[in-house]
Amino acid sequence: MGVASRYWKLVRIDAAGNRKIEEIAPAKAFFLASFPELTAQNELPDASIQRQLWQWMREAAEDVRPLAKRCLQCYISSQIEQACQQLAAQFGIEHGFTYKDLLPFVLDDDGRRPRSNPTPPNSSSYKSLLNEILDSFDPEQSTLATWATRRVKHHKELNAFLLECGVYLVSDWAILNDTTSKQLQRIFSEFHRLTPHEIEQARELLESYHAIYRAQRLQQRQAGKKGQCLPPTPEQLQQIIQHLSTRTNKRLSPTTAIAQLQTIASRLRQYRIHVRSGTLPTESIDAPASGTSPDRNPFLEFSDRQDATDEQSEFLSHYRQQFLICLDRVLAQVIQAQVTKFKRKNPQKAEKFLTALELFHCRGQSMTEIAPIVNLQAQFQVSRLLNLKAFRADIRQQLLVELRDRVLDQAKAYTDPERLQFLSQQIEEALDEQISKLMQAAATEASTATITKHQITSSLFARRLCRHLDTRRKQP
Amino acid sequence: MNSAPHPTLPIEFDFEALPTEAVDLSPEIIDRAVELSTQINHPERQWQTYLNALALYGFEQWLDSRAADFTINWQECSLLQPAAANAIEAVANLKVNDFNLCLIATGSLTDEEVTLPRAIVDLPEFVPHFYVLVEVQEELEIATVRAFLTYEQLSEQRESVNLVAEEDWTYQVPLTWFASDPDRLLLYLECLEASAIPLPVIPSVSEAGRDSVSRVMQLARMRSDLQALLPQLHSPERQLWQILTWEQGTAVLTSPELLEWLYQLQQQPRETETTASVGNHLSDILQLLTQRAVNVGCWLSEQMDDLARELSWVLLPSSSFASAFALRLRTPEEEFKAIVTQLRQAGVEIPPEARGAYRDLRLAGMPLRLYAVTWSLLSESVPEWTLLLVLGATPGTNLPASTQLRISDRTGILVEQGVNEQQRDSYFYTSVIGTWDEKFIVTVSLRSGIEQTLPPFSFNPEQG
Repeated sequence: MGVASRYWKLVRIDAAGNRKIEEIAPAKAFFLASFPELTAQNELPDASIQRQLWQWMREAAEDVRPLAKRCLQCYISSQIEQACQQLAAQFGIEHGFTYKDLLPFVLDDDGRRPRSNPTPPNSSSYKSLLNEILDSFDPEQSTLATWATRRVKHHKELNAFLLECGVYLVSDWAILNDTTSKQLQRIFSEFHRLTPHEIEQARELLESYHAIYRAQRLQQRQAGKKGQCLPPTPEQLQQIIQHLSTRTNKRLSPTTAIAQLQTIASRLRQYRIHVRSGTLPTESIDAPASGTSPDRNPFLEFSDRQDATDEQSEFLSHYRQQFLICLDRVLAQVIQAQVTKFKRKNPQKAEKFLTALELFHCRGQSMTEIAPIVNLQAQFQVSRLLNLKAFRADIRQQLLVELRDRVLDQAKAYTDPERLQFLSQQIEEALDEQISKLMQAAATEASTATITKHQITSSLFARRLCRHLDTRRKQP
Repeated sequence: MNSAPHPTLPIEFDFEALPTEAVDLSPEIIDRAVELSTQINHPERQWQTYLNALALYGFEQWLDSRAADFTINWQECSLLQPAAANAIEAVANLKVNDFNLCLIATGSLTDEEVTLPRAIVDLPEFVPHFYVLVEVQEELEIATVRAFLTYEQLSEQRESVNLVAEEDWTYQVPLTWFASDPDRLLLYLECLEASAIPLPVIPSVSEAGRDSVSRVMQLARMRSDLQALLPQLHSPERQLWQILTWEQGTAVLTSPELLEWLYQLQQQPRETETTASVGNHLSDILQLLTQRAVNVGCWLSEQMDDLARELSWVLLPSSSFASAFALRLRTPEEEFKAIVTQLRQAGVEIPPEARGAYRDLRLAGMPLRLYAVTWSLLSESVPEWTLLLVLGATPGTNLPASTQLRISDRTGILVEQGVNEQQRDSYFYTSVIGTWDEKFIVTVSLRSGIEQTLPPFSFNPEQG
């Protein structure tokens, strides 16, 4: 069946919490009769269909209204499901949830209360998200798909659940808080190419928002309130409007004010996504920093390097014999330091760390497998606990310190940042050679989120690490 | 402004995974950050101060979570001094091991330009070895150390693109100049010698050559301008850059005393008029900072420095402080001896080892005599000194009823003492106590507004 079926198939959650797709026969008949020429097409003109249905829902004859409404409800339900599927596809495996975990927050049993929220204090005022979306929809402003997705995206309980899984959506209000009027002016003029008049209006409103919302946010913090920034309350909105009118003589209605603030936020959000997708690493941070081929030995390759780096290569070759001793010491130091730090805050965390470290490096278990064993919900939490990139950086760094302390005249080597960076890279490569297989397996797991066991590597790094963990365990 | 006619992005672009390397900001940290921010009166700067504080504590947490041990010195950190935090929107002068760091807090937005206050780029007092970007997600209560830039790299880059400061005393620096590898920052902090990143030096008197002018000289040159301009900053919404030239700003930003004065000014309720005493104090501070001081410490070894001699101070013999009968003779020494005796009788403790001097002044044609007496106080853990001032009419006359003595130090006006109207004497006195590195400035005034401020008094007995 083509896309038209979205207008008569209702996605819902049954009492047991299972997803059901129900064909609503009257809706189907109504839709097919109303748009006979369209149903054969592959690409439906959704916008005009929705506008028509929306109009019928409000103005048509008594018997037509509920049918038009039903069609729109069906469409919204499938859009909600799609949004959940998208979220699950991107984050689900790494963060330990499926789209079926998300559905109960945003779908319910056909307009009745969602399962996850059995007894709201005032049940008569309860409105399902489905109807909320439909009631607030304005075909002049956006398409129903966009509108429904937007409402799902900003759904409070859904966001709270996702945040627990380590996935977040920064709120409009946080973005507005952290944007100065100078930044706004620059972004609106250079990125969005708005007119000076539009920019000026946005700037004035942002400043009034700041004056009220930021100050009250600080007061709430002072009172110990936690959590994400919520939309301005009606009182706050009134104060913002008042502030703006005192300063500019412009008086906005609450609806206009909130809509304009959201528009500003969504423009800033677009800019934010543009910057973050360009500058922040998109691959998993557990990926190896440099792509060293596994069969290459940096220690042996030093002689091949050009003259200028002779001195540096000497540095490491000199210490080749020391390397093993140092590695053992450093492994012990770094692990001990981490354990001590965890213990200070939470002794259980220290235990979890050691267990996870062993399961991951010595038993070849995946982070997803490790999660339940150390009583964590999902892979990302194990990934935060182990913080492999930092762990490796710490070991590299302590190795440098150890090696430096072994021969004093080499100490002067560290007065040049570029040279120090070079030496650090040498050690990085040496370490990489040893642990690249391991790290690559970890990275693959993290980025593609396969749940297969990774190979137990017999690298020097892993052997030494496991030996150390073994010794630790035997200590009283 | 219409409501978003632009396309909405797919849902998966908006959500993000919490960064693995983020540190959690505990409720205690948030409390401390809020508290720091409430010390700033300016609403816009208050929020930035809050983010800066979260960045600072988040950064500390991050260092603490790593294997190496770092020594953090908060002593000079600008954020913890409200007067400095009020003027510089960054966390300057955070010392980690032997390095000076400056943290720049960025919020939820993520901007491809980083705003660096001009002070942390152009003023050696605040220039760090490393500029560190800390991303603060206030609502999620996390902070992530994102990137860093050495002063050296900043200088080179700046020169190559000829980056100039903006009108509002900031530099807009591309995010791409920063190295997004915080692990490398740790490496440098632990293994690098601080000397590897040379920093500019503060222009001091001895260094001041043809091109550079020492801070004190600079301040002295613009004293009267600052005296006129700074009170305009009473409204906290006024920014320094709106009132001052950068050169004047430099003088203010590099003077902790002026920053403190400004902070106190901006903390006052907006409605209150700037009182005369605020202006008087500013004038006293400016003079304290720019004028040579009379070292009364060397009086204790019967010496007088050049400045005291220039100002016609006359040392009083030690016998003036010995117990004796009051004499009716009226040489300055004898008159003073009589005063000392009276003061002692009135309960003022003046030890025998105290020394003093006097000088004659003329105020609106009125001849006055000022005695200054000093002694050191070694009983406290930090050595202190006393400055006792006695203002008298010349023998045979009475002091005008409105005569006043004002003594200030860099923190404010300490005393304003006038003649006791009921028992009008031929003299009155007042005294202050300070540590050996503190100076006092004294002003003699009449109600008519006529006043004379004397060069400051300092106390350094080892320096003859």
